[in-house]
Amino acid sequence: MTAMTKVKGLATAASFAATLLVGGVTYASAEEVTLTMAVPDWPPTRIMKKFFDEQYKPKSGNTVKLDVDFIPWPDFYTRVNASLTSGEKKYNFIVSDSQWLGAFVEGGYFRKINDLIDADPELKATMESMHPAVLNAYSTYPNSTPNYYGFPQFPDVLVTYGRKDVLCNDDEQAAFKAKYNEKLPCTGEEIDAMDWNTFEHVGEFFQRKKGDKLAGQVLDDDFYGIAYQAGKGYDFSTSSVHTFVWQHGGGIWDETKAPTGHAEGVVNSPKSIEGMEHFLKLLKYMPPVVKTGTMDIFVSDQLFREGKVAMNIDWIGLGEASLDPKTSKVADKLVFGLAPGLRGPDGKVNRTSQIGGQPFVLTTWTTPEQIKEAVGFVKWWLSPDIQHQFAAAGGQSAIKSVYSDPKYVTYRPWDRAWANSLDWQKDMWHVPQFFELLTQQQDQYDLAITGKQDAKTTLDNIAKFQEDLLKNAGLIQ
Amino acid sequence: MTAVSSTLLTPRLTAVVAHNWKLAIAVAVVVSAISMAGLPAAVSFWVVGAAAALVAAAFTVNAYRRHYFGALLVAPAIAVLFVMNIFPLLWSLGLSFFAYQANQQTIRFVGLGNYVRILTNDLAAHATWGALINTAMFVVFTVSAQMIVGFLLAILFAKQFPLRKYLLILVLTPMMLSVVASGVFFTYYYDPTFGILSYVINSISGNQFILMSNKVGAVAGIVFADAWMWSPFVMLLVLAGLVSVPKYLYEAAAIDRISSWRQFWMITFPYIRGLLMLALLFRTIEAFKLADLVILLTKGGNDTLTISYHLIRIANEQNKTSEGAAISYLMLFMVIVLTNLYLYLANRRTKGA
Repeated sequence: MTAMTKVKGLATAASFAATLLVGGVTYASAEEVTLTMAVPDWPPTRIMKKFFDEQYKPKSGNTVKLDVDFIPWPDFYTRVNASLTSGEKKYNFIVSDSQWLGAFVEGGYFRKINDLIDADPELKATMESMHPAVLNAYSTYPNSTPNYYGFPQFPDVLVTYGRKDVLCNDDEQAAFKAKYNEKLPCTGEEIDAMDWNTFEHVGEFFQRKKGDKLAGQVLDDDFYGIAYQAGKGYDFSTSSVHTFVWQHGGGIWDETKAPTGHAEGVVNSPKSIEGMEHFLKLLKYMPPVVKTGTMDIFVSDQLFREGKVAMNIDWIGLGEASLDPKTSKVADKLVFGLAPGLRGPDGKVNRTSQIGGQPFVLTTWTTPEQIKEAVGFVKWWLSPDIQHQFAAAGGQSAIKSVYSDPKYVTYRPWDRAWANSLDWQKDMWHVPQFFELLTQQQDQYDLAITGKQDAKTTLDNIAKFQEDLLKNAGLIQ
Repeated sequence: MTAVSSTLLTPRLTAVVAHNWKLAIAVAVVVSAISMAGLPAAVSFWVVGAAAALVAAAFTVNAYRRHYFGALLVAPAIAVLFVMNIFPLLWSLGLSFFAYQANQQTIRFVGLGNYVRILTNDLAAHATWGALINTAMFVVFTVSAQMIVGFLLAILFAKQFPLRKYLLILVLTPMMLSVVASGVFFTYYYDPTFGILSYVINSISGNQFILMSNKVGAVAGIVFADAWMWSPFVMLLVLAGLVSVPKYLYEAAAIDRISSWRQFWMITFPYIRGLLMLALLFRTIEAFKLADLVILLTKGGNDTLTISYHLIRIANEQNKTSEGAAISYLMLFMVIVLTNLYLYLANRRTKGA
C-alpha cells in the first residue's frame, strides 16, 4: 500500500461515512414517493391503511406508497422514542400521542406545519373546521398557542360501555329503584344523564358472587358493577384521576401559566385531593384485578367483553372489538352513553375529561416532495367523504360538518355520545418533561390505587416532585 | 517463519510505507485532534473513525508482511469486539460524565455529577437504592429457588425410570419459551378473575384471593415464574455433572458401606461443584439484570422495581441518557465485583479440597 492508496482508502471511508450519515433519508423519484409511517396497531389505523390501499389516488399524479409500521400500543412510545432519538430518521409520518408533542418538538424531530397550513387555503379551512378542543390538544405546542404541529388522525374520548341485558332487566330495575330510589340507567339517554353517584350505585348494586342471581340467571362466576382504568402502565390511571381532579375543581400543573404557575398548592390542593379520593372510593366496586395495579384500558375492556362487568368507561378506539361476536360475549347487548360527570349543588353536571386520540405529525427530515404528498394525503384523509367513511367503519371525526350530520350517529352505537363529549375535553401537559411527570405520577397513583397510601400523601409527593423538576427545567420560577 | 519475519526491517518513523504503524498512529492522533477542534461533531466523529481504521489497516499490513498469521486470523474477531463492544462501552462511559438527553440537542460536562446524583440526590437516590435492594432480593430468591429446584430435578433425572426421556423434554420446555410468552401466561395464571390460581384458592377458602395485590405476593409471583423458566437450565448443567461421575466410585463406596450422605459429599459433589458454580454464576448475572418479567407482571408496582427496569425507564423512556449511562456503570461495577467474588471463592475451595 502506498501513500496514494492510503488516501484512496481514506476517501472511501469518508464516502462510506457520508452514506451512513444520510442513510435514513429515502430518495424518491418524481414518480414514486414513499411515506414511512409509525402508527399504533389498532382499528383506527388499520382502517386508515385499508382506505389508503383501496381508494387513495394522489392528485399530483405520482405513485404514493404508504409504508406503515404497526406497533402494539404498550410498546408504541418506547419504539417511536428510540427511533427518533437514535437519529435513524426512519419515519416521515408518525401518529403521535398528543402529550408527546413538546418532547419531540424540542428535540427537533417534529416539523412545525404553520407554513403548510398558510400556503394551502383548502387545508386551512379544514383545520379551522376542527373542534377547538381537539385542535388544541392534538396540534399545538406550547399547548393552546397558534403553533401547529399535528393533523388529527383519530380523535377519541371516554364513553360509558353498558350491558343492556343486565341494566334493562325488569327485576334488576325494580330492585335498584327500591334500594336507591332512582332509576337504573338502561337506555343511552339515561346513561348520558348519569352522574358519579349513580355510577357508584351501579357498582355497588351489581357486585355478585358466584351462585348469586343476575338478571334472573344463576352466575357461574363473580360479577362486578363497574370498571374504569386504574393501571400503572403508561397513562392508564392518569386519564381517570385527571378527570376527577378537574371535575372537583382541582388542577394539574398548568403549562399555559408557565413560568408563574406552580405545582405545589395546585396539584395537591384540597379540591384535587377531594377529586382523587372520589376516584379511589369507586375502586372497591371494580373487578379484583384493580387491586394489583394492572387494570389498564385493555384489561377493563376485556373484562367487559367477557361479560364480567355491567359498565365500563373506556376509549371509543377500543370499541370495535366489543361489537364483534368473535371477540365479545356481549356483542348483541350493548348500550353506549356519555362518561359520567360530577353533579354540583345546582344540579348541573361537570364532565371535564381527559381527551384521548392522536394527531399525525411530520418529521423534520421529510423532503419537500414527501411533504407535498403527505399534505395531499392528510387533505384526503380529512375530506368529509373519507371522514364519513372512517366514522362508518368505526373511527371518529372532529370536523364539525361531519360529526353534526344527522347520519353520523347511525354509524356506530357510541357515535351518539361523540359530538356531545367534545366540548369538555382537556389535555394533560405537552411539555418535553411529560414522560417524567407521567411516570412519577403513575407510580404514586399506583400506590394509592393498591391501598399503600392515601390521596393526600400521593398528591403531596407528586406536587413536590413536579415543583422540583419543573423548576430545574425553568418552567416554574 | 521467524527467519522470514526478521528480514522485514522496522521502518523509520517518517517512512511512508503501509506497514509503518507508528506513523499511522501519529497521523491518526494529529488528524483526530484537528478534526475534533475544527469540524462539527457529526463530521469529526467519522474522521476519527476513519483514523482508527487507518491505524488498524497499518497494523494488519504489518502483521501480514511479518507473517504473523495467528494475529491476522484473530483480527476480525477483535475488530468486531471493538466495534460492537468496547467502543460503545467507552462511549457510554464518556457520556456518563456529561449532562446529555437523547431528545435534546445540548451537552454539558458535569464530571461525576450524574454518579453523585443517582447515589445521593434525595429524589433520584431513593429510587436507585430502592431498586438495588429489590434487585438484591430477587437475586437471592430467584437464584436459590432455581438452584434448589434445578438440583433436585437433576438428581431425579440422573436415575433411569420409564418415560424419562419424554418427561425431560417436558421439563426443558419452559426454558425454550420466549420470556414474553411466559410472562403473558403467568399474567393470566395469577389474574384474580380469569386465572386458575385464584379460582382454586377461592373455591377452597371462599374468599377472593388476589396474589399480586401486595409485595409478598408480587415477589412470590415473579420468583415462581422466573424459577419455572430457569430451573431447567440449572438442571441441565448439574445433570451433565452427575452423569460424568464414574460408576466404579459408587461401587467401591458400596463395598466400603459408606452412607449415601457421605457418598454424595465425597464422590458426587466434587464432580458437580464446578458446574454448580457455573450455574450459580450465570443465574446470578442474569437475575441481576431481571426486568422483562417485572415489566410484564407488575410494571414495577408493589415495590418490585428492579435496577434494570429503573434503568430502562430513565434511559429509554425519560431520555435521561447520561444518567442512564451512570446507572449502567454502577450495575456493571456491581456485576464485576460479584463475579470476581464468586470466582475467588470457587478457586479457594478448589485449592482447599
